[in-house]
Amino acid sequence: MTDDPFFDRLRNDAVRLRYDGDAMMVTRVTARVRERITAPPTVSLFLARWLRPVAVSLSAVALAGCISVALLERSAAEASMETLSANSMEISMAGDIYRVGE
Amino acid sequence: MEACPPLEVMEEAPQRSNDPLERRAIERVRNGDRGAYDYLVSKYIKRVVSIAWNIVRNPHDAEDLAQEAFVKAFENIGRFRTGEPFGPWIYRIVTNLALDVLKHRSRFRHEELTSAEPAARRDAADLRATSDEIADRVDRALESLPEMQRVVARLSLVEDFDHSEIAKMMKLSEGTVRSHLSLARKKLREELADLYD
Repeated sequence: MTDDPFFDRLRNDAVRLRYDGDAMMVTRVTARVRERITAPPTVSLFLARWLRPVAVSLSAVALAGCISVALLERSAAEASMETLSANSMEISMAGDIYRVGE
Repeated sequence: MEACPPLEVMEEAPQRSNDPLERRAIERVRNGDRGAYDYLVSKYIKRVVSIAWNIVRNPHDAEDLAQEAFVKAFENIGRFRTGEPFGPWIYRIVTNLALDVLKHRSRFRHEELTSAEPAARRDAADLRATSDEIADRVDRALESLPEMQRVVARLSLVEDFDHSEIAKMMKLSEGTVRSHLSLARKKLREELADLYD
């Protein structure tokens, strides 16, 4: 109950709006639930039950692999850029010497 | 469709089941006695269907959702902590399933039973519930609310759940539930002023 009389009176009337299914409904749903939980699993259900977690695990491994490869490639590229910029190169052409990388 | 609520929520505020038969039934189901599940279904079926019906407003969908909720609960019974009441758990499952149906409907703009055709597809029990003029007015006023306010108001007023229960069932904060309820209350007061003021 609240401190709001309006809401309390409304609640008293609203409770009557509960869905009060008859005995047939109860029997019907109970029977359907029993049928579902006692039915032997079909091949597709059985496979889905096993394959789903396997597929999720494989996806996680593949994702981790992709991220690792991308990080390795990125660090390798950065290292080669650093090497290039750290070492100057001299090119001699027609008697002139050109320096690259400084 | 992820409709089976995580058990962490239940772990936050552990409750104890007062029904020894319920505890025994859960234990037997966990030990492989599928027949023992009938006790849980028969104990909670009416409330579960009512919750679903108050959200989706269609008796056929409500029955299907109740069925689905009980099957999901059965499949996850191994995760259920012994001694805790089964009710809050199954209520959360059916609420999540029903909210998924609402999302699906709004996505595809699929109109199910609305206040435009109030009694056309309702069964005898429903007609009995709304035969009273006041209840009918309240029903229509609740249906005129925006979706989230409607669901929160129905769970509070019709199903008599408190704020924290609704928050857990709908995966909302208690503040959000209070806010929806406050807005709903304001609109209902305007709508039903002649009945209650």
